[in-house]
Formats: sequence, C-alpha cells, structure tokens
Amino acid sequence: MAIVGEKLVKQIRTTGLRATIAQRLDDGFTRFTAGLSWNDVRGILRGDPPPKPNPRVKPHTEGFWFHIRPSFYHEAVTTLYPTFRLGFLSAVFFMFEIITGIFLMIFYTPSPTYAYQNMIDILTNVPFGKFMRDLHRLGAEAMVIVVTLHMVRTFVTGSYKKPRQFTWFTGVVLLVITLFLSFSGYLLPWDQLAFWAVTIGTSMADAVPLIGPELNLLLRGAPDIGAGGLLRFYLLHVVLLPLLGVIFVAVHYYKVVRYGISLPPEMEPVGEDNARKVPPEKRVPFLPDILTNELMYMGVAFAIMALSVVTWYKGAPLEHHADPLVTPNHTVAPWYFYWLQGLLKVPHMIPFLPTPIAVEVDKFFANVLGLTPKVFWGVIVGPLMIGILFIIPYIDPNPSRRYGDRKVMLTLGALFAAAIIYLSFAGVPTGVPITGFGYVGGDPASEVGQEFIPDEGVGPVRALPYEDYVVGTWTVSAQPSTGNTNFDRLIRAIHDSMERRKAHPDPLGKKLSADASAVVEVKQVQENLRYIAIKINYTDETGRATQFLKSTYLHALSGYTQ
Amino acid sequence: MSIIKKIITFRPSFTVRILTGIISMLVMLSVCTYVAISDQTALNRRDTNFRARAIEVGAKVYAEQCARCHGLNGEGIEGLGPSLAAESFVGRRTLREEADGRVTYQQVMPSKRIQDIGWVGTLESYIIAVTEAGIPIRTSNVWDVNHPPFLDRHGGPLRPDQIRDVTAFIVNWSLNPLPDDQAVLPPKPGEGLAPRPTPVPLTEAQERGKQVYLQAGCMACHAIRGVGNQGAIGPSLNKIYTVAQERIASDDYKKNIKDQPPATTPEEYILQSIIYPNAYIVPQCPQGPCPAGVMPANYKDTITPEDLERLVDYLTTLR
Ligand code: HEC
Ligand code: HEC
Ligand code: HEM
Repeated sequence: MAIVGEKLVKQIRTTGLRATIAQRLDDGFTRFTAGLSWNDVRGILRGDPPPKPNPRVKPHTEGFWFHIRPSFYHEAVTTLYPTFRLGFLSAVFFMFEIITGIFLMIFYTPSPTYAYQNMIDILTNVPFGKFMRDLHRLGAEAMVIVVTLHMVRTFVTGSYKKPRQFTWFTGVVLLVITLFLSFSGYLLPWDQLAFWAVTIGTSMADAVPLIGPELNLLLRGAPDIGAGGLLRFYLLHVVLLPLLGVIFVAVHYYKVVRYGISLPPEMEPVGEDNARKVPPEKRVPFLPDILTNELMYMGVAFAIMALSVVTWYKGAPLEHHADPLVTPNHTVAPWYFYWLQGLLKVPHMIPFLPTPIAVEVDKFFANVLGLTPKVFWGVIVGPLMIGILFIIPYIDPNPSRRYGDRKVMLTLGALFAAAIIYLSFAGVPTGVPITGFGYVGGDPASEVGQEFIPDEGVGPVRALPYEDYVVGTWTVSAQPSTGNTNFDRLIRAIHDSMERRKAHPDPLGKKLSADASAVVEVKQVQENLRYIAIKINYTDETGRATQFLKSTYLHALSGYTQ
Repeated sequence: MSIIKKIITFRPSFTVRILTGIISMLVMLSVCTYVAISDQTALNRRDTNFRARAIEVGAKVYAEQCARCHGLNGEGIEGLGPSLAAESFVGRRTLREEADGRVTYQQVMPSKRIQDIGWVGTLESYIIAVTEAGIPIRTSNVWDVNHPPFLDRHGGPLRPDQIRDVTAFIVNWSLNPLPDDQAVLPPKPGEGLAPRPTPVPLTEAQERGKQVYLQAGCMACHAIRGVGNQGAIGPSLNKIYTVAQERIASDDYKKNIKDQPPATTPEEYILQSIIYPNAYIVPQCPQGPCPAGVMPANYKDTITPEDLERLVDYLTTLR
C-alpha cells in the first residue's frame, strides 16, 4: 500500500493530477485490449495507417479473442468472392441464436403442462416476447440456409482439398449439428405442428435395424413422446448441441486460421497451397480492416433480421396444443427436412425397375434382411447422403482446384443439389409439379375440407372474418346470395374447388364423384361464436353414398388474419 | 459480365464500412424502439386473440365431452346434468373494449349458484374444480350419477389446457345466458335429497325387453336414465312414450313420414322407429339435427318378433 501510494504521489507531483489519471486510465485500457492504447484504437477507428512498429498485432499474440483470429488476410480473399462471408455469417447466426435463445429460455418450462401456455405467455404477456421468438425462429432458418450456402461455396471453390480435408469434415459435423439444433427446437412449443413433425422424425430412429427401439426409447424417454421426450429434446437443444457446436466451431476456426483461407483457385498453381505464403504487400491487417469488415456484415445481418421480423415475416406459428390422440392431416417436417420426407416416399428400393420386379426385390430384401423401402431410404440412404459429404475430400482424387479441371466433380455436385431439390418437392403433400411424385391426399372430398378448414393453420374459412358469415344452411352449387359478398366468394371458391376435383383427377387418379354436392352450415353457438361446417355428400370409390363433414368454431375476436 | 465482376470483387472502403455499420445500428435501434412503442397494444391484441381461440377449442371439447349430460346448448338434461348456460349459473356479463386494445368481461350480474353453494373462489375456478376432480359425493338424488372427473391425472380424458378452454367457453355464455325458466336447474344445497319415487316394477316381459335393449346395443346411441351407457347419437329415450305421443300428433311427422303408413298409437310409433328407422327422421338429436341412415335398419331381421314386442312393451314404460 505504502509503496503504491508513494509511486502515485510521486507521479502526481511530477506530471500533475490530470495527466496521472489519464495515464493510469490508458494503462488499464491497454491491459483490457491486450496491447492497444487509447490512441492506437483511435487511429484504428479513424482509418490511420499503422505506425511502426505496428502495435496492432499485439492483441493477436497477447489476447484470447484476437489470438483465435489471424493477424492478416491475403488481399485476394477480402473481396466478396471467394468467401461471400458465409463462414463468418454462419458463426454470426450461431451467436445470434444463442442470444435470442437465452431470452426465450427465461420464460420457458420444458414440461407438457406448461410449455404451450408459456409460448402463449411469450406472445401475449412478455414485452419483446414475440419479437425475440420470431428472431429466434427466422434466425434458425437463416442459419440453415447460410451454413448450407457456405458448404456449397467451399465445395465449388474446391477448398475442401488438401490440406483442408479435416476443415471440411468438421464443417459437415457443424451442418449436422445445425440441422439437429433446428429439429430439437421444433418440438419445444409443444403444439400439434411440433408434436407430429417430431413424432414422425423420431419414428425413423425406431426403424433403424436391430437397435431401433432402444434408440427411440433413448430419444423419447418413453415409447411415445411425452414429458420425458420434451425434457430430452430441451436438453439437447439448450445444452448438448450448443456445447458441441461451440467445440466444433472452435476446431473448425482453428483449422481455418492454421491453413489460411484458400485463395481463389485460379490464383494458385495446380496442387499448391499458397494461402499462408502472403507477400507483405498483399497483407490486409485484421486490425482494422477485417474487423470493421466483419462488424459491418454482422450489423447488416442483424438489421435485416430485425427489419424482416417487423415487416414481411408472418411470425413463428403456434398451432393447437399437442394432442397425441389427434393426428392432423398433412403434417410436414420443417422445410429443410422435406428432402428426407421425399426420400421416404420412394416406393421401391430400386426405383427404376418395372414395378412387378421391384416388388419382388423388395420382398426379397424384406424377408432376408428385414429392410422395407421406408427403412432403406429413410434410415440407410438418407444418412448415407450426409455420409457422402463427410468423405468427399478423401475420395476426390483430383488435386486441381481449377473449375475447368473439375467438370466431373462440379457436375456431380449439381446433380446432388438437383436431387435434394427434387426430393424436397416430393416431401410436401402436394408433391412434385408435373410428375406428381410424392403426392399424398385422401379422398378428394376430404381434400376439399382440408383445403378450406385445415386441421392446423388458418385456411380460407378461418381467414374470413366472423362478421362476414351469414347464419343459415347454404347449398354450394346454388351459388346463393347470402347478403355478404365475401361469404359469397368463399362459397364460390368451394364450388370451384369441387368442380376442379370432379373434372381433374389428382395425381393418384382419384376424382370427386360427379354427383357430389355440398352445403355450408353456419350456426350461432354463443353471442360471439359461430359454428361453420362444410358437408359434402358424394359417392365414394366403392359406390356408397357418403357424407364428409369438416367443421370449426369461429370467434369474433380470434384474429386469424391479423 | 463486368457487373458480376464488380459484385465479386466488391470490397467496401473503410468509410463505407463504418457508415454501413452505423446505419445498421440505427436501423436496429429504430426497429427496437418501434417494437417497444407498439408492443403493449400488440400484446393486448394477441391476448384477446388467444383467449378467443381458447373459446373455439373449448366449444369443441364441450360438444364432445359435456353436451351429453349438460345439453348441446348448455340447457341441461333432466336427471343427467344441470344447465351450464343458465343465467343463475354463469351470471351476466358484457364485453368492453379497453383503450389499450384489450377486450375484457364486465360483470353485470354475478353467478347466483356460486353464492348459493358458498364457493369462495371465482366462477372459473369452480368450473375448473368440478370438471377436473368431479364431485366425489352425492349431493342430491336428482342426478343419476355423480360428476365424473375429467382431468387426465384423475383418470379422465382431458388435459388441463382443455379444461381451461372448456371453462372459457362456458363462461362465455354469460354474454347471452339462457333464461332460468328454459334451463334444467340444480337443486339448492340441501334440497333434492328425497329418495326417488320407486319405479313401477317391470313385468317379466318388460324386464326381458330391457335385456333386449341392452343386448341389441341400443345404448351405444341412445340414453335411458340408469340403464347402460348413455349414448348421445340418437335421441334420448328417457320419456319415449310421452315423446311418441307428441310425435304422432305433430305436423312434422304427418308431413315427412314416407314409405310407411303413419302410426296412430305410441306403441306403433316406437315399433316403426325401430324396424323402419328411415321412415321418419327425428328432427333433433343431442348433437344437432338427427343424421339419416345412422340407426341400423335391420333390427327387423336380427331381433325376433317376440323380443321386439317385449322391447316395445318395455319402452312404453318410459313416460
Ligand atoms: C355423465 C354426465 C356428465 C358429464 C359428461 C358432464 N357433467 Fe358436469 N355435471 C353432471 C352432474 C350430474 C352435475 C351435478 C352434480 C352435482 O351437483 O352433484 C354436473 C355439474 C357440473 C357443474 C356444476 C354446475 C352447478 O350448477 O353447480 C359444472 C361446472 C360441470 N358439471 C361442468 C362440466 C363440464 C365442463 C363437462 C365436460 C368436460 C361436464 N360437466 C360433463 C354430469 C355431467
Ligand atoms: C348407430 C346408432 C343407433 C343405434 C345402435 C340405435 N339407434 Fe335408434 N336412433 C338413432 C338415430 C340417429 C335416431 C334418430 C334418427 C331417426 O329417426 O332415424 C334414432 C331414433 C330412434 C327412435 C325414435 C326416437 C324419437 O325420439 O322419436 C327410437 C324409438 C329408437 N331409435 C330406438 C332404438 C332402439 C330400440 C335401438 C336398439 C334396438 C336403437 N334405436 C338403436 C340411432 C341409433
Ligand atoms: C456453424 C457452421 C460453420 C461455421 C461457423 C463455419 C465457419 C467458417 C469460417 C469463418 C470459415 C472461414 C472462411 C469463410 O468465411 O468462408 C470457414 C471455412 C471453411 N469451412 Fe466452415 N463453417 C461452418 C460450417 C461449414 C460446413 C457445413 C462446411 C462444409 C461441409 C464447412 C467447410 C469449410 C471449409 C472447407 C472451409 C475452408 C474454406 C477456405 O479455406 O477457403 N464449414 N468456416
């Protein structure tokens, strides 16, 4: 104490109080920045050229945060091409999800009794709650897109080649983590959408030969998804997967720093890697150039997210409470798993054989190995497609990164992408346009019901405001004047949909019977509650007169269209 | 080509980077300010929306679970369950739209029932308590059964959120409650304890008829107080003799009977209803208008004429 005091007093005596305080503050500042004084930082912010000797490399050797970043980049990789900043943006979105996710965690309980009510509370009672939830959901989807595009770019520029094979490998691990993060988060709102998408997803685990039931049990905590499954998915989503993510991002980043970002292929002689041999005049220092560059991209990304959420984004959905007893029609996985759903629809193990032979082959495999097409495509081929990604750098024998030399590989990549896109279309209930592959639909009458009153989601009937309905029983084919033009239009739309289904068979060849007729029934249930039903009388495939009824209640204030 | 090249080699200058960064920050700040300012109204509006959607869900739960005892419109069913829409039960409320976008109930008249029984909580908590746990003891002899528990934890079919939603639906009747004189009201506490008058003993043939009723599976769709399941697809047969008398006198029956001569006695009507169910479709069933073609039309072949006679004989005792 005495000694410190003595020094301080001496300094104040010689330089004065103000200068001493300034010097001491600057001292602390320099320690905080791991080597940059206040003036150095000002110089950086002003865009001054670095003084000599350059203090700006110190943080890279002294400090933790900067030592994980290189002290300079090659000029050629600081333009938009070749990186498009997609790797950095992947990391940004990972961070973004952690921040918004922690906010949501505060208001969330992983229990079937509370989870859904918690979500409603977040939307109706927590300031910034819906904003944060939408950011988190949109950010998750953006992250999947950005990470995928980053993979596509490293594939196209051939950056996975020697010496970056392992960088690519850890990258694919990160892609898988990203997908599983999204998937595990999907269950947490505990609504019908979440529950059934995840039930279908985990049923794939059940189909794994030999260990399927055990794997399923491990994941769900019980034969069906319930309290145990929700808790496990929650723990996966907020603890295990983010932890693995942080670890693998660290390894991935280390490899990137270690080998440098690969130069544009045309700049290197074939087979050489010059990313770390940067002549002094080509060096772009991290401080301030790369840092400001990255901060700018990060700022723009965040701003786009925030703007999107308050403008075009229609919000993360929250459907009805999860109900294991009610399977909604047409449940779909999140869009980035459509391809897997599409894959599950391939009817035979060898798709291009004539059907009778294909059926025999399927039978043979089913009897000998216990493989059905669903197991084959979902449990073997699906993961295999990811597996192929892992080994690409190890099986590609071509040392050249030049586009002209890689026609085969680039074509294969394009085919792979096309297959994923085609399968994604097949994954949705409407199937692929033109070929109709993947179409699933019940009987046409029930499809009319599903079109206008979907089990989950809004649909035209709920979208029409309560006030527009006119109580009564209205025959659709009569195209009645109900006294409300919007309601008339809805009735006409039902009529048109039925006529369309009478005239054109669906991809499975089913048509609505020509004698089909429908009524729309609107009943007043309570002062501000109406019951709306579509009843379709038609002849089913077996020639029996049948009635299909689909109904919903509509409250004056439920605001589906807002 | 050159534009692609421009995009590809795009490298913003230092000033552009700093400016873009600052503009992005400002955009984010404005968005946050906008959300902060508009959030309260938006929260209130969504709160109203979600409450309304809960009522929609509750309506469905009510129709599936409660209507068979409490009536499709909450009017109550003699012997099965009291009215839940009656003014003396739900009271009377109006809706008020507040300046902040919330829509709230304003009580005009409280629930008399709650006061009568001395429940210290709210109407909502009473409905939830009764529905979740049931009523464990017999409160009067007016009802055939004690209230069953509905909560899944108590072995019932409903989750807590469904019970909350059906409660919201019941409470919403208070906007336009049923006048007490159109409703089946529960007895006041301490009343209705008199033992039920002993029913007239059935003759042997009628007793056999009752067995036919049970064996033929009629109770899957119909309800007779104290006999088998209380089905709710076809009309209640509790007082079928009296009902039959009313039916044959009604214009609706005379106008709409087809393929068969109109019945002239209640016995004929009941027999006709069983063996030619589609000759006349009863207008009102527990879940709305009666569906045609639902009641099996082959009892003429599956039940012997003697048994049919005994069945009708039994049903005529229900007056
Ligand atoms: C099996 C027939 C039955 C069913 C089904 C039934 N209830 Fe009841 N309910 C009764 C009876 C009987 C009573 C009167 C019990 C008593 O007072 O002891 C009653 C009373 C009530 C009461 C108290 C009414 C009052 O005036 O005190 C409420 C609230 C109630 N039921 C709600 C429900 C709800 C909600 C459902 C559907 C989830 C339902 N009940 C289904 C038979 C039924
Ligand atoms: C699958 C359901 C179902 C079964 C089983 C069934 N019914 Fe019905 N029943 C109905 C329906 C629906 C109606 C009303 C429509 C109609 O009149 O056909 C009805 C109407 C009646 C009526 C006329 C009631 C009135 O209020 O006028 C009687 C009487 C009757 N059924 C007796 C029976 C008897 C006795 C049995 C058993 C032998 C039986 N039902 C079995 C569905 C059923
Ligand atoms: C959370 C996910 C990921 C993060 C945060 C991440 C981050 C990064 C960063 C910051 C770079 C530096 C170069 C650049 O910005 O392009 C990089 C490079 C690289 N990444 Fe990723 N990455 C992720 C996922 C992936 C995936 C899915 C793959 C491929 C399957 C992959 C493969 C590579 C390869 C091969 C490089 C080296 C590129 C080069 O040197 O030019 N990464 N990654």
